[in-house]
Amino acid sequence: MSANQLRALDVLKGVRFTRELVLLCLLIVLVVVLGQMSPVFFTVGNLLNTSRFFVEVGLIALGMTLIIITGGIDLSVGAAMALVAVTVGLAHQSGVPMALALVLGLAVGLAAGLFNGLMITRLDLHPLVVTLGTFALFRGIALGVSGGGAVSSFPQWFEYFGQFYLGPVPGQLFVFIAAVTAVWLLLSRTPFGRYVYAIGNNEEAARFSGVPVRRVKVVLYTGIGVLVSMAAVIYTSRVSTSRADFGAGLELDVISAVVLGGASIYGGSGTIAGTVLGVVIIATLRNGLSLAGVETTWQVFLLGVLLIAAVFVNEFFRRREE
Amino acid sequence: MRTSNRSALTVAALAAVVALVSGCGETGQGPQQSAKEGGKIICLMPKLVGIPYFEASKTGAEEAAKELKVELTYNGPTEGKAALQVEMIEQLIQRQCGAISVAANDPDALAPAMKKAKEAGIATGAWDADVKKDARDVFVNQATFEAVGKQLVDIMSKQTGEKGDFLVVTGSLTAPNQRAWLEEMKAHMADKYPDMKVAAVEPGEENLQKGIDVTRDYLKANPDTAGVFGITSVALPGAAEAVEQAGLDGKVKVTGLTTPNEMKDYIKKGTVEEFVLWNPVDLGYLAVHVAKAQLDKKLPRSGKFKAGRLGEVEVVKPDEVLLGPPIVFNKDNIGEYDF
Repeated sequence: MSANQLRALDVLKGVRFTRELVLLCLLIVLVVVLGQMSPVFFTVGNLLNTSRFFVEVGLIALGMTLIIITGGIDLSVGAAMALVAVTVGLAHQSGVPMALALVLGLAVGLAAGLFNGLMITRLDLHPLVVTLGTFALFRGIALGVSGGGAVSSFPQWFEYFGQFYLGPVPGQLFVFIAAVTAVWLLLSRTPFGRYVYAIGNNEEAARFSGVPVRRVKVVLYTGIGVLVSMAAVIYTSRVSTSRADFGAGLELDVISAVVLGGASIYGGSGTIAGTVLGVVIIATLRNGLSLAGVETTWQVFLLGVLLIAAVFVNEFFRRREE
Repeated sequence: MRTSNRSALTVAALAAVVALVSGCGETGQGPQQSAKEGGKIICLMPKLVGIPYFEASKTGAEEAAKELKVELTYNGPTEGKAALQVEMIEQLIQRQCGAISVAANDPDALAPAMKKAKEAGIATGAWDADVKKDARDVFVNQATFEAVGKQLVDIMSKQTGEKGDFLVVTGSLTAPNQRAWLEEMKAHMADKYPDMKVAAVEPGEENLQKGIDVTRDYLKANPDTAGVFGITSVALPGAAEAVEQAGLDGKVKVTGLTTPNEMKDYIKKGTVEEFVLWNPVDLGYLAVHVAKAQLDKKLPRSGKFKAGRLGEVEVVKPDEVLLGPPIVFNKDNIGEYDF
């Protein structure tokens, strides 16, 4: 064999079945099959429009990926999203200028994340326990201060965050792409990213190697708070309403996407590419099945099948890696 | 480092697929144009699927579709969430529905999506729970908030001697129609029965067990409560069950809104004497008739509208059709209904 052929073989070995490649193939199969089932599925208009519905889950899933890689979890994201939405809504209603209301919302999201982070690190509590608590706490505050009412008289320009199109491309897709790039660089190109993996692989060992474990965790939980705020603003703008029951069950959508993307719930592994694929696959499946006229009850069933299958595939890769 | 190289590769591959997909789809139309042709499908969306109330509406809707020989899609989210409905409405626009009519989980949250449907040339409507007025052409109203609220309070007043403290079990504190009924109930009490008072409002979260729990706990803490209103199709059976389990049937009166099948036992035993609802089968039936009339551009803006076996129903406002007065169910008539 010539040297060139050998090199080509090496490249092929390099791209052999990774998790992301399996997911990518799955996505292609889905697109082809769903395209057969519905004539409108495979159109630019529809595919781009679908992106409007995964950006909010996708943004939060980016932060959740990093947290899950460290072996943590955040169950309070849906509740925090409601809290931010209600803050923005009520601030606007009580006469605060819209721009300032948005800043307030951002601050509340950041504070909510910081609160989680500090509770987890300072009191050395498990993230599941802490965020299960704040899951109820944040939702409770949102319901309490809003009294269950909705605010929906936002100024015209606020629509830009969730209803703007550049040509056929929804505006929030750009925000998502920028966020994906930033978090991907952070995770794969910086010492911080290596700390994240190190904590997930062995927290004790990481601590003794000089990784600032607590600081990294506080940054991660605060960071997801900021992503939640962004998602909340886009969401509130997209539906022109702020309500305290927003984001109910969102945490499960987010975690499903991350787990489908191959991140290990035990920590130590996971990639941004995987998560993005997980988010896109779930959104594509839901959109395509709806367009094909499949009833929602069966969509939920199929999503369950997909997630169970993903668990098996991931387990297969995990054993092989070991 | 291997991981990141691989992710880089995957991202590149993903970009390639997106490019490919966009390339293949060039014949496709933008979201604004796709609905113009074809569209004779009537798309009816309930607040959620899988509960008896909206299954009953489905029966009526299918009956009307068969009668009128139109294609009908009846689908909604599996949970009563506005955001899921928004997503589905946008997909219905893509699917080229001729008419979209929704039972809205939130009047404002659904407005942008419904406006988009309107702009795409789709006949828009709401049924069961309205969306913002400018986001739909017509609302099929099952019964006015006022009629329902008054009816509930009147039934209760007969049973408790026009006085007492009451618990109201709702679905959620945010649901607009439940809030509106509650307002009407309070107003009617203040107006006509000054000795009746809503002492507490507890959300049962459309979960039967939760409804039972909140009612039982409340009655334990407040034994002087004269009666319980359960104002959703899940809250009322829950409230009745809790009262029965606590052995308070007869002492604590129960009424509210729900479908009759689940209540037959409670009516027979006397735990609940009377309760209120419109006929959801007829509501689904009427919603399809109205949508068909919209498609044919034959919907009158006042007077009467002829809707199949329902006969003539009233067009109460230029953009509102009323099903009629609510039905009061009791042991004499409950056997006649099956939904």
